[in-house]
Formats: sequence, C-alpha cells, structure tokens
Amino acid sequence: MSFQRFIFRRTLMVLPLLIGVVFITFMLVRIGGLDPVGRLAGPTATQAEFDMIRDNLGLDQPLWQQFGIYLGNVVQGDLGESWLSNRPVITDIKERAMVSLELLFWGVGLGALIGIPVGLRAAFRPNGKFDQVTRVLSLLGFSIPTYWLALVMIFVFFYLLGWAPPAIGRMSLLVTPPDAITGSYLIDGLLTANWQAAHSAASHLIMPVICLAIVSAAPIIKQTRAIAIEVLSSDTVRYAHACGLPERQVRKLVLRNSAVPVLTFVGTEVTGLVGTMSLIEYVFAWGGLGQYGLNAIISGDFTAVQGYVLVLALFSVMVFIVIDIVVHLIEPRSELN
Amino acid sequence: MTDATPDTVAPDKAFVAERSRSSQIWNRFIGIVRLSPTAAVGLFIIGVFAVLAVLAPWIMPHDPVAAYTDRVLQAPSAEHWFGTDGNGMDVFSRVIYGARFGFGIAIPAVLLSLVIGVPVGLIAGYRGGMLDEVLMRFFDGLRVFPSIILALAVVAATGQSLINVVLVLGLLDAPVFARVVRAEVLALRSSNFVESAVAAGNPTWRILFVHLLPNAIQGAMAQTAVRAAWAVRISATLAFLGVGIQAPTPEWGAMIRQGAEFMVSGQWWVALYPGLALILMVFGLNLFGDGLRDLMDPRRRTAS
Repeated sequence: MSFQRFIFRRTLMVLPLLIGVVFITFMLVRIGGLDPVGRLAGPTATQAEFDMIRDNLGLDQPLWQQFGIYLGNVVQGDLGESWLSNRPVITDIKERAMVSLELLFWGVGLGALIGIPVGLRAAFRPNGKFDQVTRVLSLLGFSIPTYWLALVMIFVFFYLLGWAPPAIGRMSLLVTPPDAITGSYLIDGLLTANWQAAHSAASHLIMPVICLAIVSAAPIIKQTRAIAIEVLSSDTVRYAHACGLPERQVRKLVLRNSAVPVLTFVGTEVTGLVGTMSLIEYVFAWGGLGQYGLNAIISGDFTAVQGYVLVLALFSVMVFIVIDIVVHLIEPRSELN
Repeated sequence: MTDATPDTVAPDKAFVAERSRSSQIWNRFIGIVRLSPTAAVGLFIIGVFAVLAVLAPWIMPHDPVAAYTDRVLQAPSAEHWFGTDGNGMDVFSRVIYGARFGFGIAIPAVLLSLVIGVPVGLIAGYRGGMLDEVLMRFFDGLRVFPSIILALAVVAATGQSLINVVLVLGLLDAPVFARVVRAEVLALRSSNFVESAVAAGNPTWRILFVHLLPNAIQGAMAQTAVRAAWAVRISATLAFLGVGIQAPTPEWGAMIRQGAEFMVSGQWWVALYPGLALILMVFGLNLFGDGLRDLMDPRRRTAS
C-alpha cells in the first residue's frame, strides 16, 4: 500500500468516530435539561418572546434535526458563541491552543525523557531493587493530585525559596511580549532575539512543565516496563541471546522492538494528560485552552464547554492518526485493521 | 477450596457452608499478604481510613464545621494539630471527616459501574452482532475524551449535588467493567459448559447470570480497587474546582481549594494536609488494586 493511500485510508477510518464524538458533545448539553432560552430571555420575558427565542435557536425542531444543524455548523468551523466572552468560541480556542500546546509539548516530552529510560532499566531486572522502588514511585505518581502538587510546588519554590516567579501567567507582566510568530513566548522570544522575554517565559514554564512531567512519567514508566519485559521474553530476543550476541546489542534489539508500542502508548496517554494539564493551567493561571475550558465549565458557559470538549476530542483523534502514520513509517509492515 | 473441618461432629449443613465460606475468605486474605506484600500495605492503608471514616465522630477533637472566628488561620499547635483554616475550622477534624466522603463516593460509584457495566458486557459479549458493534464503537468514542473533563462537564450540566457526582462517576466508569466482562464472555461463549447449558434448554438470562457471570466476573472484580482510586481522585478534583461539592463541606478536594490562596501567603497547612490524606488513600487503593490484579491474573503483572 502506498504511503498516500495509507494516510488517506487512515483518515477516512475515523469518520464514524468523528460523527460519534460530535454526537456525544451535542448530547452533553442536552442531557442536562438545561434551558438556554430562559437564560437568554431573562426573567421578565413574555411567553411570546420566549417562543420567538426558542424558534430562533432552532429548539422547536426534532432532536435529530438539531443534531444535523449542529454537525453542519461544526464542519464549517462554527462552534457557536461564548456567553462569557461574547465572541465565537472558535476564535477563543484558536487564540489559546498554541499556549496549551507549548506546555503539553515540554511536559510530555520531559515525562517521556524520564519515563522511558527508567521503565527500560526496571524491565532489564524485573523485581530487582530498582524495579521495586520505581514501581512504588510510579504508583505514587498515579495517586498525587496534580493541582495539589502544583500548589505545593508554588509554596516551596515561590514562597519559601523565592526561586520561581509568581504563578500568574506565562510571562512577567513587566516584560513586553515578543512579536507573535508561533504563539509560544519562549520560541518567539528566541526567534526575535528578545532575550528578556525568552528568559521570563522560560522561568515561568519550569514549574508547570515539571509538574506535568511528574504526572505523565508515572504511566510511561509502568507501560514501558511492561512492554520491554514482553519484548525481552520474545523469540527474537531469546534467539539473539542464544546466538551469543553481546548484551549491548541485545539491548539495542529490545529498544528497537519496544519503540512502536511505547510510542503508541505515549500518544494515547496524551488524551488523558490534556485533562490533567487543564488543572495545572488553572492553578498557574496559564491562560491557555485548559484554563478557558475549566472556567467555562465552572461558570456554566455551555457553548464554550461544548466547543472545548469537542476540540479536545478532535485533538486526540488527530494524535492517534499522526501516531499511526509515524508507526507506519518506522514499521511499514503494520497494517490497518 | 474444600476446607474439611475434622473437629466438627455431625455439623449442620448450613453451618458448614458458612464456616467454609468464612475460612475461604480468611485464606484469601492470608494469601494476599503472603503473595503480595504491597497489596497488604495497600489494604492496611485502606483499613486505617475505613476506621477513621466509621469512628470519625469519636476521633475528631473538634466539630469539622465549627468556625472558631477568633482562631482563623492558626498554625498547627497542640490544640489544633493541623492548624485552622480561613474560617477558623479545625483542619485535623476536617481531614478525618473527609475520609467519609472518600468512601461515600467511591463505594456507590464503583457499585453502580459494576451494576451497569457487568450486564452490558455480558449481553454484548454473548449476543455479539450489531448491538456489540455499536456499543463498542460508543465506548471507543467516549475514550477519546479526557475522563476528568467529561466528568466535570457532565456534573456541571446535570446539576451539582453529591448524588449527581456519584451517578456521573458510576456511569462514566461502567464501560471499563463492560469491556473486561465482554472480553471474558467472548472467550467463554463457545466453551463446553455454555453449550451444554444451552442444549439443556436454559433460558438466555440463566446462561448469562448463572453460568457465565461467575466465570467472567473475576477480571472485573480485580479492577474494582483501581477504579475506586479513580473515583476518589476525580471526585476530589471536582470539589477542588468547586463543581459538585461546595466549600465549607469537609471534603478533601474542597479543602485544598480553600487552602489554595493561602499557599502564596505562607499558610501551607490548610491545603497540605487534606492533600496528603487524599494521596495516601488513593495510593492505598492503587497499591491494593495493583496487587489484586496480579493475584487474580499473574500474567497481568507484566501488562498494564
């Protein structure tokens, strides 16, 4: 199968999933029996005004027709208008997406950088001392509430030690933001040689990134270990051992054979981490998509909630596709099923 | 399995059944301790929290919601072991009382997940076909959403009450059990004992619940502790965000929310202690759950 055809077919395969995802977000607001009409009309509205708003919103139509309209709007990139910001939700989301992606990238990157070597090392000597210690530590990592960890870190590194900047936003308010090129203050600062901005952005990034890395490393350690143990007991590796290959080369073989499942796992983990990350954003007042979404949920801005949840789901689906493509590049044998 | 008790003379039938069942449970328990010390530690931690939750009224030195307005934000002392919060409430008493919310949410939520998930998994696995296909696709769709966000959004949409939190967590977690049971049923569906049960003319419900259920439930039971840990964590997260359980309630997440603002002004005790309690309880459940999975299926020690 040619590469283009692979990508095409892989993308086509998600269509039913996408429609399902849109349906779930659509139902999310409907199940609550929420009444947007009452909210828009206000307490003094007459019945006639009430009905008019209802008809304008299309709520007098049957549910499947409403879903059709919603689906049509979503396809055109119209996610409705936020009640809080009075702007199209899609605009709000576009502005903040890059801000969150930056944090996610560094956080998961660092988490993988810690998690994969630790998991591999634990797998090479299962039930050894290192393995047992990391097993307990990673279980602990599963158990720590992210937001609490963030608060404790703020207390220690900002209040007690004074090493970290105050946990408000992505950059000191006294520094002029760099010209927007990518949307990431750090990269833009470096690109435009605005060292002050780059420095400030980097110092604000450290704590949330470490926080996210700790939380994401735990499952990566666990899964990498499990995958590597499986690979170690596979015929390929046992044969390599039997042939008398030196340990270093055997380990190389293990690495190569673990790469695909580990990569797939890190990709699927991103879905869950997007939720965790929104809590970190919330505590650090990051101003990204996660904080926007949480604020929308807390204040009952349901159009924004719908848009946010939908975008998160679409992002996950996109990550799955990208991973499948990367896996296909590494391992062209892998087929679609 | 059969625990013959030689010292009982002409025992009553019911008594024997009772006796062997309780000794079975005891043997299981000893087995857990011996086979998996980490699971035993987890069980111990859960036990301590259970005792705290049950005996809370007698252990707490203060009323968890009594505001001593003259002792606002006091540091930990002999009178207030964990200090007092912004309302002048005793943090130690509140942390102990919080264990009740941990169990009070996790147990019914997991039970609800089991009650919904297990039958769905049984039917989907046994019937197969279109129904199975649609259900599995739906569960796949749900998986694309981060669970915290989905739980938050649904609780916020359906109304913020403690009962709603339990219902939503129970519903959202049901697919986990449905998947596990379905996989087991798929493997068992064409085995001899099921086919002979069909041939003997058993109605479908009997095959599902009398013949398949006892054989397919083990995997689901192994998941319960880990899912309870999830429920405790998520419910605390909801409370931290002020969704579901509201602030003066002595729930750990809500207490961390109250303490958040004091972290940058140095009153660390308000948020630190409920967080430690939360970690410890979730950690205990995870330790126990991890060991439980190993015990029920040694092969899973390597997989997830």
